[in-house]
Amino acid sequence: MVPGTDLSRRGVLSAAVLGTAASLVGAGAIGSLAPAAAFGAPAVLPGEPDPNFAEGRVTSIDGSLIRATGSDGTLHRIQTTSATSFWKLTPSTIESVATGDGFYARGLRMPDGSLAADAVWVNIVSLDAHVATLRGPVARANAARANAARANAAGADAAGGVRADGGQVHLDHRGSRIVGHVVPGVSAAVYNGAPAVNDLSLVRVGTHVHVIGAWHPDTNEMDIATLYTAV
Amino acid sequence: MAAAIGEVSWFCCGTAWGPCGTTAHGACGTCNSGSRQHAWPNASTACFNITRPDLCGFGFSQRGCGFVHATTNLCNGAVVRTSIADCGPNTHLFCGERTCCGSACGTARIIDLTPSAYSAIASLSTGLRPCSVDVG
Repeated sequence: MVPGTDLSRRGVLSAAVLGTAASLVGAGAIGSLAPAAAFGAPAVLPGEPDPNFAEGRVTSIDGSLIRATGSDGTLHRIQTTSATSFWKLTPSTIESVATGDGFYARGLRMPDGSLAADAVWVNIVSLDAHVATLRGPVARANAARANAARANAAGADAAGGVRADGGQVHLDHRGSRIVGHVVPGVSAAVYNGAPAVNDLSLVRVGTHVHVIGAWHPDTNEMDIATLYTAV
Repeated sequence: MAAAIGEVSWFCCGTAWGPCGTTAHGACGTCNSGSRQHAWPNASTACFNITRPDLCGFGFSQRGCGFVHATTNLCNGAVVRTSIADCGPNTHLFCGERTCCGSACGTARIIDLTPSAYSAIASLSTGLRPCSVDVG
């Protein structure tokens, strides 16, 4: 490290936002993308609001600056840099952020009140839910798998190649119905803690699941990123 | 209590957007997504009767609103200290659910953090992490 330089993520982000960095390397080059590695910020007392965290709905985007209104009415200015990591169903960029999106952001509160963002999660939701029904390809794949299992039990050849490529998982969450869209090639399932797979055909109606997904603003729908369940 | 090993997840509470808009400020009436707080499965007798962590083999002490726990992400060693603001998770629904980072594993959901707290020790997109929980 060059004497006199601060290569911590806190230092890099501060320099970037304050305009003192000549160039900014990718976040991965200076450490984990996980916000946990981001800052040596002063400890936040348990139970207290975190000054280095923000949430709300996006009201406008001006270059790298996101303006937003918090759910409690607080006005936020989220300053992003080339080191900011974005998530919107998948790892993304600021170009994917739209007015009306919900978000959570972690970063460093600057002296002017803005948040220099290390990570921004757009429309992300985390739900414990009950699988109410399956629709479309995921339902057909689920049924095919069940038929294959019955055929196996009867000694017949099992049908292979069942795969849920799209469709919907309808979820009951706190008394409300949420439609989870299976996005081909993106949505994944984690069964019994095994590595994630893109095949959701083992998801069973009536079971409890945990879902990480991307909400469709102002609807009861979401795209499924990862669905955790037991089989 | 000795540190408990299990899974940590996150949940939203308080005034919020999206599906979280239907939630309130939790069983303690103080829960907010932007605060360093958590849900605990034995926050009261009524809470325990819903979450039943004992059915997964956990003998958690009853701890009331405001009690502080320290949660360690076993994937990276990061620690966050939070206070109880809600009842949960529904541990008994997830007995046997397992999450690992290499050889570090946690089985069954034992604590839910607010987004503010979870994002201090892991990316929100990870959803679940193996963890240890101790008194704060």
